[in-house]
Amino acid sequence: MTVTITQNATCTFCGCVCDDIELHDDGVKIIKTKAACSLGASWFVNHTAEKLYPDALIDGKEASVDDAVEAAAEYLHRANMPLVYGLSNVTCEAQREAVSLAEKIGAVIDSHTSL
Amino acid sequence: MGGKVSCTLGEVKNRADFILYWGGNPAECHPRHFTKYTIMQKGKFLPEGRKGRTMVLVDIRETMSVKAADIFLQVRPGKDFEVVTALRALVKGNRVDTALVEETGLKLEQLQDLVDRMKRCKFGVIFFGMGLSMTRGKHMNSAAVLTLAAEMNAFTKFVAMPMRGHGNVAGADMVLRWTTGYPFGVNLCRGFPRFNPGEFSTVDLLVRGDIDAAFVLGADPGATMPQPGIDTLARVPTIVLDPKVTHTSKLARVHITTSVTGISSPGTAYRMDEVPLPLRPVLKSPYPSDEEVVRRIIAAVDKKSAWLPKPATMASGVM
Repeated sequence: MTVTITQNATCTFCGCVCDDIELHDDGVKIIKTKAACSLGASWFVNHTAEKLYPDALIDGKEASVDDAVEAAAEYLHRANMPLVYGLSNVTCEAQREAVSLAEKIGAVIDSHTSL
Repeated sequence: MGGKVSCTLGEVKNRADFILYWGGNPAECHPRHFTKYTIMQKGKFLPEGRKGRTMVLVDIRETMSVKAADIFLQVRPGKDFEVVTALRALVKGNRVDTALVEETGLKLEQLQDLVDRMKRCKFGVIFFGMGLSMTRGKHMNSAAVLTLAAEMNAFTKFVAMPMRGHGNVAGADMVLRWTTGYPFGVNLCRGFPRFNPGEFSTVDLLVRGDIDAAFVLGADPGATMPQPGIDTLARVPTIVLDPKVTHTSKLARVHITTSVTGISSPGTAYRMDEVPLPLRPVLKSPYPSDEEVVRRIIAAVDKKSAWLPKPATMASGVM
């Protein structure tokens, strides 16, 4: 087992976004963290590169990502007032794409800020 | 509402000799806030570190954060707005009714002492949490605290900053601001952005059942929304992008598993002081990133007809 050490990793668990975390990983799991708080450490350790969930689900049944993307596009295209919501645990780059999608389908776009 | 007078956490570390936390519990919710950015650090202009700083905590109950505070002010639940208003009056030297202050659970002397300390400090900061912004008064409470901080600048340097919860919720504000001009609750239904919290905010839309489809990413409203809102998510077609099969995924028509932000997918996240930071993913995920999936959905939508009504339909009044 080779362990890779990454310096100055960024934790996105809470709004502090600490960027001084040291991570030790074996390629599949993060086995050790340094400088992270208890919340950050469990965030890193509990997310692995294992395939624990199906690629996609349509009506609760396993499906391919292609079919799920197509179904999502169909539902969103058909809607008169769709809602795009969340955006909190994704990157700014993904948020930007979400705004673009919201504009295309004529949606309301909102984040946790409004709660 | 007059905008936000704020600063970076680096300035707080190097300059702030008066730190007020309002309606938040950083000891348990932002564990490194004290040690990395605020009270415990030695700063450029605070060589004494903790000794050189005063920390005040305002909350409705004693939390773990009380231990770190020099002064703890316990406010009666739902009376935050009244306390801020009394403070604003005292800051300006106006007379404040003792009986009205006592309704908030505090004494006039306590508030006067707080105001004196605020005026005496060199650099003051108010961090406000969801205990202020999500309780009675909601965004009006946040506005009152921001105004208090702005008004304090007649006497000394003073700033305010919200304690953001989720990782990149500050980034969502930033991205929506530069793309649409508004920070959240933006309605693009008419092809141009409209902003109206209370009307276009998610909880209100869901509880009223105004929407006819939902696209959820980086959130689990199925676990956090009030029941009528969850019922709406189950009734309309809901699409979820998440690294896990969440409560929302279980009531959704479509779920797509995505890689975990910052652990497997690269990009940028904003810290609560609106400083953008690059992410350093370490694990290679078997799933695509949120960014990639959204882009693919956009491409699939692009193949369909435009959503705007055709001019002929509008002219005939069918709309």
